[in-house]
Amino acid sequence: MRPLAVSFSVLSLIFSVVAKTVTYDFNVTYTDANPDGQFSRRVIGINGKWPIPTIDIEKGDRVVVNLVNGLPDVETSLHFHGIFQNGTAYMDGPAGVTQCPLGPGQKMTYNFTVNQPGTYWYHSHVKGQYPDGIRAPFIVRDPKGPYAGKYDEEVVIALSDWYHDENPILFSRFLSVGNPTGAEPVPNSALMNETQGMPFNVLPGKTYMVRMVNMAAFAAQYFWIEGHTMRIVEVDGEYTEEAEADMIYLTAAQRYSFLLTTKNDTSQNFAIVGSMDQDLFDAVPDGLNPNVTGHLIYDSSKPLPDPEDVDAFEPFDDFTLVPLDGEYLWEDPTYSFSLEVLMDNLGDGANYAFFNGITYTPPKVPTLYSALNAGNLSMTPEIYGRDTNPHVFKHHDVVELVVNNNDPGKHPFHLHGHTFQLAYRSDDDAGLYNASDPSVTFSKKPMRRDTVLINPGGNMVLRFRADNPGVWLFHCHIEWHIQSGLVATFIEAPDVMQQTQKLPADHLEVCTGQNLPITGNAAAKTDNYLDLTGQNLSVPPLPAGFTARGIVALVFSIVAAFLGLAAIAVYGSQELKHKTA
Amino acid sequence: MPNVFAVPVFFIVFRETLETAIIASILLSFLKQTFDTPDSDRTAYIRLRRHVWLGLIAGFGVILAIGAGMIGAFYSLGVDAWAKSENLWEGIFCLIASIIITIMGAAILRVSKLQSKWQKKITQALQASNKKTTFGEKLEKYSLFILPFVTILREGLEAVIFVGGVGLSYPASSFPIPVITGILAGSAIGVILYKGGNRFHLQIFLIVSTGFLYLVAAGLFSRGVWTLEAYSYGKLVGGDVAETGAGPGSYDIRQSVWHVNCCSPNYNGGGGWGIFNALFGWQNSATYGSVISYNLYWIAVIIYFIFMYYREKKEAETTQDSDLEADNKNRGLVPGKTPAHAGVEVDEKSN
Repeated sequence: MRPLAVSFSVLSLIFSVVAKTVTYDFNVTYTDANPDGQFSRRVIGINGKWPIPTIDIEKGDRVVVNLVNGLPDVETSLHFHGIFQNGTAYMDGPAGVTQCPLGPGQKMTYNFTVNQPGTYWYHSHVKGQYPDGIRAPFIVRDPKGPYAGKYDEEVVIALSDWYHDENPILFSRFLSVGNPTGAEPVPNSALMNETQGMPFNVLPGKTYMVRMVNMAAFAAQYFWIEGHTMRIVEVDGEYTEEAEADMIYLTAAQRYSFLLTTKNDTSQNFAIVGSMDQDLFDAVPDGLNPNVTGHLIYDSSKPLPDPEDVDAFEPFDDFTLVPLDGEYLWEDPTYSFSLEVLMDNLGDGANYAFFNGITYTPPKVPTLYSALNAGNLSMTPEIYGRDTNPHVFKHHDVVELVVNNNDPGKHPFHLHGHTFQLAYRSDDDAGLYNASDPSVTFSKKPMRRDTVLINPGGNMVLRFRADNPGVWLFHCHIEWHIQSGLVATFIEAPDVMQQTQKLPADHLEVCTGQNLPITGNAAAKTDNYLDLTGQNLSVPPLPAGFTARGIVALVFSIVAAFLGLAAIAVYGSQELKHKTA
Repeated sequence: MPNVFAVPVFFIVFRETLETAIIASILLSFLKQTFDTPDSDRTAYIRLRRHVWLGLIAGFGVILAIGAGMIGAFYSLGVDAWAKSENLWEGIFCLIASIIITIMGAAILRVSKLQSKWQKKITQALQASNKKTTFGEKLEKYSLFILPFVTILREGLEAVIFVGGVGLSYPASSFPIPVITGILAGSAIGVILYKGGNRFHLQIFLIVSTGFLYLVAAGLFSRGVWTLEAYSYGKLVGGDVAETGAGPGSYDIRQSVWHVNCCSPNYNGGGGWGIFNALFGWQNSATYGSVISYNLYWIAVIIYFIFMYYREKKEAETTQDSDLEADNKNRGLVPGKTPAHAGVEVDEKSN
């Protein structure tokens, strides 16, 4: 195994006036890797290599990704996590939502301009595919940004979790009658830049801009650098006022950038530690090492210390962050609704995840394609299917979304196409959100981000502006929960989208090449968009108590018992008759 | 209250004791009705009664030893290692107990018709210690020891495992009172059954108690199959399913015939539903296996009794002419003939 060094890139001193077009030719292929040194396995790489390339651009650049699905047996797609895609909603990437999945051998091009600086990432958005390796940071540098000049170098540290089994195998065990409690597969290792023992060579007395991404399938990680303080300046692409932290907590899909000023003394090296949050795991397997360690190296001739034990995990609370632009809470929401999170079992005995009693089931036509073709009916949620959990917003709505977590687990909720304000977040076990509770106070200048943790049994209030016409998923970023249905579909200003957005021909060819419909409602009905017969629906619920089958069985059992008792009585009473006769 | 009285422990112990007491009381009633009559051998009665008590005491002793060892190991290991195979042995013991009760039940009812023969046979078997005996006769001879022994073993082991399993969430101080009161309450019901049983007209009592026994046996048979299914489901799921509750995920939907999210006879000792399960084989989550086995059990019982009914009716017709003669000559001592029986004798006395 070859250790992967942190990639440094010296801040570009040449500020180009004209935005560039950055082109990537990505052929998705299988390859082999052993990032934790414990187990060599097949992984999904790009152009025969793994880890896959980091997309590294500057604000204003155009990105062109020519994607070929070189996987012989499975579908794929790419989602650029956190990129707003304003005006190019069809480039967002989730299969069944903004495009058809690419079948084996198919190709398509993602082409969009990025006007938002920050730390992002990209990954497959087909089923639970990215934990098999198709995930990497997506960095949008900001040479003229507010923190430009306050650091000497930029560094990317991507945390992740790692499974020794491939996702389809784990998934078939996860969503099955044999796992009625819905216990999520526990990762085998934690990784840092897709390896362990990552070296981070530093010079004394310098300041580094460290861009962090958690690309995990499941595990959130606590992160700290021994002997050093982090000054947070960005979360999920939104600059914040500087905030000092000794330890941060990154859920799956969250990003943080912080300034790290090195010591003036090179006598000692320091451990960089990521530690998976084991509260997420139903059962911690024997021998699991939840930690991944790297090193801040001042002097490579000095020893690399093992991490010291910590008494307690006390990470920085991201709720306290203040956006650098000083944006106030968006008042007077024009569209308010709530999503109730619950886990339950359906008729096949497997454990599914629900928003408002609905477990997400993909439609027959990508939702965005339905929206573009539905004419005046595009504002009618029903046409998008019962189990896509559709919610339609008008252009420039201020949306208030209350999430009530009725599940005793932590969930990182992610909204595509937006950052939202975290107006309020309760502690653990606060129960349902109650607007009239005097102890509930909204943040005046709420932190904005695109992925946020909700506490177990708690609630939160998010606000965002429907200023991005498109179809955007809202989902838990634990891959297991995406696959068990913890997903809702937000259809935003489809009327505006119909006027301003046109599907690229190569996107449509992906569908037609597989004989998948490109028009029609969720049931692929084109004549009458309100006719949803034949739409994809979730597994039916468990039968309630006594069905006809159960009543028949119970009646038969009772009759059998009475007949049996009668037989005994007749046999036994023979002599009574004999006596009386 | 929970600090000194763990309700689930009480129900577990009460249920297991009651099950044992029902069998014991019926056996003792049977012995008293059958052998404690003026013209019978009282030493045989005392001896058989001793068998029953010895079976109970021996079983209880074994259980105390095993329970002490298990709970000692349980607390020293700190893990619920027993719960993993609990369903396997519970299922097997249920089936064995059901078969034993079924065989004994038929024997008890037949005794009412062939009492003197049966009485003599047992008496002879018990007296003839030097006589060569077949295995079947040996089994018959000691069945009054084996049945209570196996019953108390099964119920006691179950109680030990359940109590041990519940124990993790309760302080040690909450154990003694529910265990003792559970045993006392279960035994008290048994005594009431025993005393009440004596007041019945013998034949009515035998019919009712036999019916009762067969209900228990049918329930046990069904429960045995159910428990073995739960064992294989538990192996698939990799956890103790019964203790996860009564709701979704606590049962295998593929096998389900009905399921109500309450009334579980297993979860937290089961309460009244546990007793309902012990008496009638109630399941809040019935499976194809448990329903079919319950019905098949009764079908087998019905066929058996109908067959016996017609065979004995036929025998009675063919032997009717010589009935009186045989009765006078042999006074019911000759096997194969169906002479006088208890009902007649008791009735004659009461007249």
